[in-house]
Order: sequence, then structure tokens, then C-alpha cells
Amino acid sequence: MPVEVILPKVDMDMSHGTLAVWHFAPGDLVEKGSPLFDIETDKAAMEVEAPASGSLQAVTAQPGDKIAVGTVVALIYAESEAVPNSAPMAEPSTAAPIEVILPKVDMDMSHGILAVWHVGEGETVTKGTPLFDIETDKAAMEVEAPATGILAHLSAQPGDKVPVGGIVAYIYPTGTPIGPRPNAPADPAKAPSPAAAIPASTDPAPSAQPTTGLRATPAARAAARQSGVSLADIPGTGPLGRIQCDDVTAQLAGHKAEPPTHLPADTPPHQGWSCQPGPLYVSLRKGIGKGTETPIVLLHGFTADSQSWAPLEKALGTAPALIRIDLPGHGRSPRRAITGFADLARMLVEAFDDATRAHDRVHLLGHSLGGALALAIADIRPRRVASLTLIAPAGLGPEIDAATLNGITRATRSESLAPWLRRLTATPEGISDDYARAAMKLRADPDLRAAQLDMAQVVFPDGVQPFDLRPAVARLDCPTAVIWGKSDHILPNRHALSATGDFALHLLAGAGHVPQLECPDRVARIVLRHLGAASVT
Amino acid sequence: MTAMPPDAGLRTLSYAEAIREAMAMAMEADPTVILMGEDIGVYGGAFQVTLDLVDRFGPDRVMDTPISELGGAGVAVGAALTGLKPIFEFQFSDFAMLAMEQIVNQAAKLRYMLGGEASVPVVFRLPSGSGTGAAAQHSQSIEAWFGHVPGLKVLQPSTPEDAKGMLLAALADPDPVMIFEHKLLYKMKGHVPEGHYTTPIGKALVRRSGNALTIVAGSIMLHRALEAAERLAQQGIQAEVIDLRSIRPIDHETILASVRKTGRLMIVYEGVKAFGVGAEISAMVAESDAFDYLDAPILRLGAADAPVPYNPDLERASVPQVDSIEAAARRLARREV
Repeated sequence: MPVEVILPKVDMDMSHGTLAVWHFAPGDLVEKGSPLFDIETDKAAMEVEAPASGSLQAVTAQPGDKIAVGTVVALIYAESEAVPNSAPMAEPSTAAPIEVILPKVDMDMSHGILAVWHVGEGETVTKGTPLFDIETDKAAMEVEAPATGILAHLSAQPGDKVPVGGIVAYIYPTGTPIGPRPNAPADPAKAPSPAAAIPASTDPAPSAQPTTGLRATPAARAAARQSGVSLADIPGTGPLGRIQCDDVTAQLAGHKAEPPTHLPADTPPHQGWSCQPGPLYVSLRKGIGKGTETPIVLLHGFTADSQSWAPLEKALGTAPALIRIDLPGHGRSPRRAITGFADLARMLVEAFDDATRAHDRVHLLGHSLGGALALAIADIRPRRVASLTLIAPAGLGPEIDAATLNGITRATRSESLAPWLRRLTATPEGISDDYARAAMKLRADPDLRAAQLDMAQVVFPDGVQPFDLRPAVARLDCPTAVIWGKSDHILPNRHALSATGDFALHLLAGAGHVPQLECPDRVARIVLRHLGAASVT
Repeated sequence: MTAMPPDAGLRTLSYAEAIREAMAMAMEADPTVILMGEDIGVYGGAFQVTLDLVDRFGPDRVMDTPISELGGAGVAVGAALTGLKPIFEFQFSDFAMLAMEQIVNQAAKLRYMLGGEASVPVVFRLPSGSGTGAAAQHSQSIEAWFGHVPGLKVLQPSTPEDAKGMLLAALADPDPVMIFEHKLLYKMKGHVPEGHYTTPIGKALVRRSGNALTIVAGSIMLHRALEAAERLAQQGIQAEVIDLRSIRPIDHETILASVRKTGRLMIVYEGVKAFGVGAEISAMVAESDAFDYLDAPILRLGAADAPVPYNPDLERASVPQVDSIEAAARRLARREV
């Protein structure tokens, strides 16, 4: 729907205004908030700002025209909207539904796995809000709704592998009737994949029950969304049959009791995740099979989030139980202000205690800033840590690449983010433009960027690591492995040599600052061997 | 009020004495601090809070004002504009309605309307609340009204320590601050540190830690909530109790952090339930990222939708009491809501 540009009332007892000048010509792209035209009244002359961003069309008033207040003088079409050739004022009463396609979010990606729908068939979606999650070999990410309206004709279910560009649903603009499923336009890229071959039925009853009519608390809905289970399958034990968080947890525990039938070997890593309320956002996954009693707690690095563990999770397999914590100001954790590393470490210890209260001991794994925090936790809670794995940890020396730190935290578009991301890997080729776009999407929230900018200034003031954790390394008592890329441009791996303590050092050739993304299989092998050795001790 | 025993071995004062000590300290330290209000001089104040201050500081600095709240508040606002720091006592918070023009249209707005060139460092003290048998026009809890006015700060001390600390913080603040003191708390004793200290404005405090549900309460409701929480603990329900302390600004983060932990929220306040403090907090939580942690509907416990009754039994029944807080919290914790 185009946005109407009207002549506003800028003066008391004003009924008409004279349009003085247009600052844009028809067809121009305008930015929301930029001056669009000037009006004159008996008392005042003033600029009117564009009410939306997009293409200026259907200009009906010319300079010098006297126009009644409230009259539509033009329309602004969003860039994605088609501009009709004629009759621009006519309402598109029989609007065609908008296609929802599986986007390309990763380089050389041809297919993606639809992990979970955030919205059910028949529910209302708002443009720009999360619609579904997809998983690729490298990344898991949210896809936003391309339009506002009613979601219909879902043709892919969680777990389905869908080709890039394939249509997974349609959105009908609010107020328009939902018709039969349109025939997908001929698309050579859309190869019929067996998993996606769901019969295109006009039967309104979808195979998975819509969650609209169900009673469930927000916490239960969040837990179901996280773990990929359908609320329709869960019996509610609350008042009026309401599904509560415990019901979802019980359902997940029940599933675990009969694993092989419900969890095939190639279960997408998204399955089985649940969230746990606490001071920070914590997601957990139960392990499958033997040796799963002691979970691995994962702490991501600065400006990353829990989703960045996807490649390593895949390489680790389904056996280990995992607990991921989003740092404050990262991922889905609250944007909390911190005063320095010590404050951050205190927060993490609190979240660690909360997240691991069901276990006597856990394996602890952290990357970069998360590595420093893992080290701090192991120092403060020595009896709770069965083993420690640090990937390119911070805190072992003062140097850090301040330019990259600065560049990543300040970037507001993928073009400005990409050059800095390329410094994370051993060689620039490690990061594609698509990867940068996906990364920028995860950083789209201005509050998140502001929180991280503030954090960079207090944790790494003036581009220095002011906190020295080498004494903590010397005190470590648990089996400890340090993994570092030979070509780390962010934190020099010689920091590992300046620390003294009983730890194993693995230097990986051809890896930069993010070995868990660059060579997840090698890192997983080291981690699993290390955990195996730690369980023996 | 049994839930917070005075700390053994430490100096204790009553809530009224703590306020008096703060006023006396401020007047000794700063000659621009003056007291104004009806009957605060020789009579010592309707609730004997100013007591003998007129003897210590003289009638020039402890001024009895005529029975015109609008006039008195207007003089206080004017004095503040010209550089004094007046503490104006309304005999009952209900009488602030007579001075709405000065509080809302003048004190709260002048800094903005004068482009930041002037400020109004006035402190309004307002004895409030029910429980004294003083009937509908002398028993209201109207603090939420002022929470709606940008330019004001609205505080609600629940302990003698905070009563002193908040008054000193209010005097240090360059803008108008309203302190709602509860009439039933004036005689409550508690530890009060010596010397000068301030209670931060806009910071709530977790007075009791728990994980089954969060109860947000302020002023006398805090003490009732704490007593209810003690009873609940004996039934195996650990409630987290937050002392709201400041209504404007509200400390979002402390409340949200607790809701993320417990997933259940109840707000207890003495004002009429509709359009009250609880509505604001409830909406704030529903709009926040903590929404996804809610595992039950949010409950509000406020006063009945009626003027405060004169009959003592009805008066008690019209506002939340320990029994009603305990019952509601138990239902919330046991998933019966």
C-alpha cells in the first residue's frame, strides 16, 4: 500500500494552503523525514517532510495550487512495491498476495532448511518482524516478513529443505480475501525438492494446526518457538487449559524418552532447543545417547551471539548437551549497561549459576571475550567446571585490533561491515558479501549496536584490553585447552605463550580469529577429545 | 510491619524523626532551605513532623502559611524560582488538588518553558494514605496522578532510612520533587544512618529475594507485601518483593530483571486500581522483552473503585491488606490465575 502524502494543517484556523514548491520530482526516491514540499498560508511558510521512504508518484498538486487541508497531493510507494501504471489513486481491491521466498543468506548456498515458523497459517504478520528461521551450513538466521497482512498457503514445514528463491508462503494484504493458492510463476531455479513437495491444496485446514486459538502464556510460546515444537501437540495444565512453560518442558522431556523415532540422524540443529528464563538469554539443548550428562556451556565473543555456534554445534554432533548464553547487549539478552569487565564477569557468573543449577559440573567453552569470561567463571567457580576450552581468548595480553573492534561496532550497513568481518578470518575470502549481509541483519537493531558500542568503550577502552587474566590461568586446576588460529589478526596468539599454566595449546594453521567458523570440524575434534580426556580424570 | 525488624545495635529513629532530622540537617548546612506549610510552626505540623523546628530556626525559616494551598504553593514555587529551596508541606496529600495549577502548570513546566534558563527546586511533602479513619477527603493515595506529569519526580519512601535519604536527594535535585509520606508509617521505627546521605531517585530495591513470583509494592504496601511473603515462605512459596520507591521515574530494569527470573508479576498499591501505578508497570512489562518470560497473567491489587469509606471495617476492606495480598500471591504462584 502506498503512503498518502497530504497537505497538513500547519496553522490554527487554516483551511487551505498554497503549495509553494516541490523538492522532488515524480519518480524520485525520497527518504522519510526529508523535506518534500513547501506550503504557504496566510501566516506561515514551512517545509513538509516526507511521511515515508520510497518512490514519489501520482503528484496531483502543482506549485501555486491552493489546496484544502487533508487533500492527498501525492503517493509514496515503498521500493519493493509495484507502481501501477495508471489510476494511481485507485485502491488495489483485489491485490495479489505477496510471495514469501527463501532468501539467499549465505555464499554458495543453494538450499536452506526452514527451521521454524514464528507465525502460523492465518495469523497476521507485520512487515519487518521475524517470519521464519532458516539454517544453512554456516548460519542460522531469522527472515523478516516482506509485507504486512495475513499469512497463508504455507508450503514448507519446519525441517523442509527448500531451494533458494522457492516460495514458502503468501501474504495477503489486510482486508483482502484469501483466495486459492496462486500458481507459482515459472521459476527455473525452483527445482521440486522431495521434502518441499507438499500437495498444493485449497483445503483451508493446514496439516499443522494454527496456534491462534490456543491458550498459552508468552513464556510457553517462546519456549515452543525456540524448541520447534508445535503448541497444538501440548496439553495445557493451567487454568482454562492454558499451556504454561512447564507444559512445554514436560513435552520436550517426554520426547527425549523415545529418541530414535522422533529424532532422525539429520535433525536440524534447531530442534530440541528450549529457553530458560534468567537474567540473560539462555538456550539449552539436551544431548542424545551416552555421555550426555555433563553439558557444554558456550560463551560467544564480542558482537557475536548464540547463533554463531551453529557450525560448531553441527560438527559436535547431537551427543553433547549444550547451554548457550547470550552476553548482555548481544543476541536476545537484554541491552544492559555495564561498567567494565569485572561487572560483565559478575553478570556472567550470575547467569552461569542460574543456567547450570541442574548440573553439578559443566564443560565450559568460550571464544574471544567469551573465552575471557569463561576463564573468569572457572576462576570464581572452580568446583563447577569439569573442563575449560578457550578459543582465541581475550584477557591474556593488552593488544587487540582496535580498528576492527571499532569498525564492526559502528557499521550500519553490510558494505561497511564486510571489510572488518574479513579481518576475522585468516584470509579475506573467508567472508562473502552474502555472509556480511546476513551478519548485518543480525545487527539491525540500533539498541543492540548502541549497547555494544558502549560495551566496547568500557571493556576495551582506547583499544586496549585493560583486564589481565594471566594470574587466573596460573591458578586453573581443571583440564584446559587453548585453541588459536595461526593467522589471528584480532588477538595475537603469542598471548597464549606469555601465560603460564597447565594447559594444552592447539595452534591451527590456516585459521584466523574464528576457527570455529573457519574449520569447525577440526575444532570439534579437539573439543571432543579434550572433553573425553576430562571425563576420565 | 513486623517483617522488617529494626537492626539490632544500630541507631533507630521513627519515620517522622528521620524526616525531621533530614530537614534540620539541610537547614543547618544551607541557609536557602526554608520550610512552609499550614500549622508547621508553633503547632508542629498536623502529624508533628516539623515539631520543634520553629524553635531552632525561627519563624522566618519555618513559615506558617494561610489556609490557601494554592497561595502557599505559589509562594513556594516563586521562592524556588528566585533561588531558595523551599520544602512545602501539604497537611494532607488530598489538599494538593487545590494547588494543582502551581504544581502541574508552573513548577513542572517552567524549566521547559524558559528554555532551561530557570529551574524550580521545590520539594512538596504530602502525608497520604488510608487507615486513620479520616474519611474520603483525607485518605486518598493520588501519587499516580503526578506520575503522569513530565517535569515532576514522585517518590514514596517506605522506611525511615529512605525517608531521610529521599528528602536529602530531593533537596539536591534542581527540579520539583513530590514525596508521598504514609501517615501510618510516621511512627514506624528503623535504622537511620547518621550524617548526610541520599537515596537515589528512580532506583527500586529488591527487599526480599525469591523465584516463585515478583511482587512490586511501595510505601506501606511494601510492609504488607513482605509480611505476606513471610507467610507464603512457610507454605513453600518464595516471593520476590520489590520496593518501588520511585513512581516517576520508574525503575524499569529492576522490575524487568525480576520478571525475567520469576515469570509472574503482581503489583500492589494503595491508589484506586484503575488507571494506577499498577497499570503503568503492567503495560511497561507487557511492552518489554520480558514479555516472553511471563508465564501467567499480570495481577494488580489496588483500592476498591470507590471513595475511601469512613466505616473502619469498610476502610480496611477497601485497600489491599496482608491477607488479600497473601491470597492473591498464592493463587498466582500456584498457577490458579
